[in-house]
Amino acid sequence: MEEVFADFRRAITEGDGYGLAATISPIAPEHDAGRLYAFFRSSNAHQIDGDIRYAVKYNDTLRLPRPESSAWNEVFVSYWKAVGEILAAEEATNQGRMRDAQWNRVYDAWKDVANTLIKYHISGVFPAWTIPCLYLAGKYLRTFAIKADEQSARVKGNVTFNAGYQDDVVSSIGKNEKLEDAARQLNRMFALCLGDRAPIEDSRKWGTYYTANLLFKTHFKLNSINLSKNIIRSIQAQVDMPPLEAFPKSHQVTFKYYVGVVAFLQEDYVQAEKNLTEAWELCHKDAQKNQELILTYLIPCRLITQHTLPTTALLSPYPRLQALFSPVAACIKRGDLAGFDAALVAGEDEFVKRRIYLTLERGRDVTLRNLLRKVFLAGGYEPLKEGQTEADRIRRTRIPISEFAAALKLGMGVDGQVLEDDEVECMIANMIYKNLMKGYISRERAMVVLSKNAGMAFPGTGV
Amino acid sequence: MSTPAAVPWRQQPPPTPAYTAVPPRRTFARPEPEQSAPEPKPTPRKVDWPQGVREYVQRSFAPEATVPGIEREDMEKKLKQIISEAAENNTLLAVDWNSYPLPQHFILQDRKMALGVDANKTAWTNGSTSDRVIPLNGHTNNVSLSPSPKKRKSCDVPLTEPVDDNQPPWRKTNNRNVFEDRITYANQGQADRVDKRQRKNQDTIAGKGSSKFPQAELEKRKQRFQLAKPTSQSPHPWASPRDDSENEFSAGPVVGTCQDLEKKYFRLTAPPKPHTVRPLPVLEKTLELLKTKWRNENNYGYICDQFKSLRQDLTVQHIKNEFTVTVYEIHARIALEKGDMGEYNQCQTQLRALYSQKLGGHPEEFLAYRILYFIHTCNRTDMNDVLADLTPADRRHHAVKHALDVRSALALGNYHRFFRLYLDSPNMGAYLMDMFIERERLAALANICKAYKPDVKIRFLTEELGFESDSDCIEFLCEHNAQDLLKEADGDVRLLTGKAGLLFETLRGAAFSKVDIKGQI
Repeated sequence: MEEVFADFRRAITEGDGYGLAATISPIAPEHDAGRLYAFFRSSNAHQIDGDIRYAVKYNDTLRLPRPESSAWNEVFVSYWKAVGEILAAEEATNQGRMRDAQWNRVYDAWKDVANTLIKYHISGVFPAWTIPCLYLAGKYLRTFAIKADEQSARVKGNVTFNAGYQDDVVSSIGKNEKLEDAARQLNRMFALCLGDRAPIEDSRKWGTYYTANLLFKTHFKLNSINLSKNIIRSIQAQVDMPPLEAFPKSHQVTFKYYVGVVAFLQEDYVQAEKNLTEAWELCHKDAQKNQELILTYLIPCRLITQHTLPTTALLSPYPRLQALFSPVAACIKRGDLAGFDAALVAGEDEFVKRRIYLTLERGRDVTLRNLLRKVFLAGGYEPLKEGQTEADRIRRTRIPISEFAAALKLGMGVDGQVLEDDEVECMIANMIYKNLMKGYISRERAMVVLSKNAGMAFPGTGV
Repeated sequence: MSTPAAVPWRQQPPPTPAYTAVPPRRTFARPEPEQSAPEPKPTPRKVDWPQGVREYVQRSFAPEATVPGIEREDMEKKLKQIISEAAENNTLLAVDWNSYPLPQHFILQDRKMALGVDANKTAWTNGSTSDRVIPLNGHTNNVSLSPSPKKRKSCDVPLTEPVDDNQPPWRKTNNRNVFEDRITYANQGQADRVDKRQRKNQDTIAGKGSSKFPQAELEKRKQRFQLAKPTSQSPHPWASPRDDSENEFSAGPVVGTCQDLEKKYFRLTAPPKPHTVRPLPVLEKTLELLKTKWRNENNYGYICDQFKSLRQDLTVQHIKNEFTVTVYEIHARIALEKGDMGEYNQCQTQLRALYSQKLGGHPEEFLAYRILYFIHTCNRTDMNDVLADLTPADRRHHAVKHALDVRSALALGNYHRFFRLYLDSPNMGAYLMDMFIERERLAALANICKAYKPDVKIRFLTEELGFESDSDCIEFLCEHNAQDLLKEADGDVRLLTGKAGLLFETLRGAAFSKVDIKGQI
């Protein structure tokens, strides 16, 4: 117990928020692996209140204001209880004899810690610099909630049947009871940071983005991405919010990443690209995992907005991304339809898991464009008329549909699906509709008439 | 206490015994439901007492109400207790103080209880001033349940559960959360919370005092209730004792005894009586009957109602087996056919959970519908989840494969394939596709109008957009204000695609901006 309170006193005297947060961490520090255990064993349910009161309140060196010392007292009492639950749960896990709802109890105990912190932040008893404690509480609240839900899903399965007299058999599917509860507590943290009216030097507003990021994470896990839009909106609605650049970089990167991914999932690829690019540029050079996450969405995004593919140089530091994207990218580049389809099927599980399948699928348009462009290039030039020189020559822009059909047949591979003539036309119509080709189809002549202007037939590709 | 309450004890006013020492009450008449109906409003404590309470206090101390052997001191104590308890339970306004028994009555009761002797003979002659305190509710319960005609007074006491009993069923719901039965709880936790709240209410209303009685008393009381039950078939339904307090919250399954094949759907607000619930063998016959009727009469209103009551009977009896799945599947298909998306979605949600229990049925068929539905709602998040959950076996299934092909055709803008798939959809997929076929036709037209110049034959559009005939196609175009863009040449009707681009692009945008979603899955 003494170690914990030595750290506590030091952090309070120095005004070290993160040091203070470390004193209520549910994970023992590396240099003192037995700390939680020792802390828990140093007292008991009867004496804990008194013990902590002695360490916090009646300590002359601290001289905390009375309400604040009582508040810390309360925090540490609930922390002590939570540590007890955590140790019990971990011990049981190690011994492979988990009791029912053990992680539920950890969650509930930890929620007490979090709520005590929230309470005294709302009432302004804790100074704003202690906000890292709130971060820590929120972070582990989420972790414990996930564990609790996993455990109850294992026990109960994920379907609850009605026992009452409602009309239908099933009352709920896919419960995430604790995580949903955690989302509510995190939302309170977020709201208290966002709405703090104190002068900005000493405001909890500085916690806005950290708590927002925790909420994003939680909502993504809960699959309620729409709620994430509300967070973004409520931050935008704050007029006296300091600019995002003024916040710690780690908060900025995560926030921009999530804003980008939310936009990505809404198919707003322009916004997505902007935010993800900013996140990418700000990201710490050693944060490989974060870079990977950003690229996972930025690459499909660029494929849609700019029809560009990642270079091998870009992918080389990330073997996982390489495995994920290289096969697809290579096929797009070659205009290999059959290969593209196969690569998409092969990677489908991974793509779907990362929610990029439906976006990558649209890469097929670019693949097709590249294939049809080859036909156009192979078509060569119109014969020179009298008086024209090499410099004046133009490409053949009237291309029979049958040529494209032949290319598609080749592109789909030998045993690929054979396209009907109308379907070939349909694919070409799509290219034109999506501005990947410029021109029109003349059904009468069974021709595609492409733009004569140099570099306009396949916009952005130089021809 | 020993007389069994086989008589419907609420039916006739009891004969007033001559020797009763309790002051005369004002009325024997049962309070009108209206009187007892007012919701217990939260009454601010420590404010003016309602007029009724004040009059009640006056009556209590009126000279004619004096009972020998009861001191003023006891009276004050009792009175205070009665009123403060009513205030605590927020029933100050709900209690009909005009007919509420006077404190003397309760004091006599207490003494009788304390002595454990028959109050009929000894209560009022007993001069001891036992001041054993029993909460008000304890009295009411005890009194109202007492088989002795002498204690019948309490049936005028519209204070606790009897209030409910006096009410007809449609009114009864008002005492609880009126909309409770319309709430679909997102998760069990929520439902539990509500449940708990109600249980708490119930505790405060009815349960408090009972715990003071010995277990044996409670058992006896329970038995009396069960004996009284058959009387619920009495000609006066409003007088029937409804022992909701007993089993309102018990979750055990009902075992039905009803033999009728047909039954109108009625949304339950309380556990059903077994004689209104049909057991499984009857339900199986019901389903056959409904299938025949649907084929012959095609009356959706009737069928939907019958299926809802069928589902309800399955639920209250906790029947979860292949038959349950079949019922939901058939109802879903009928709802789909009739475009009743609300009911369809309810069934679909239930089926999803039932399939997860591996109870048989046609999970692939309904998985395919789910995919088609998400295409309709343009719900990318849910679509992604469906794709994530697909197993290779699912993908091989004909209907699922079809739905996936539909999805990919639309994703790639391949309208040609899409309309081929529309014309060749398995099961009832076409009904779902009908919901977005117009939208996709407009999208395809926007596409075609941009790509084809200067015009296309109607024949081509009919083929490509899956119309039944050229005239259908022309009708569709005219409905969307394209009549001026049609021209006739060489015996063909043609659409001037060169000029129609903007029109269809606008229509396409409008069609995708509003997706009508009823009862999301």
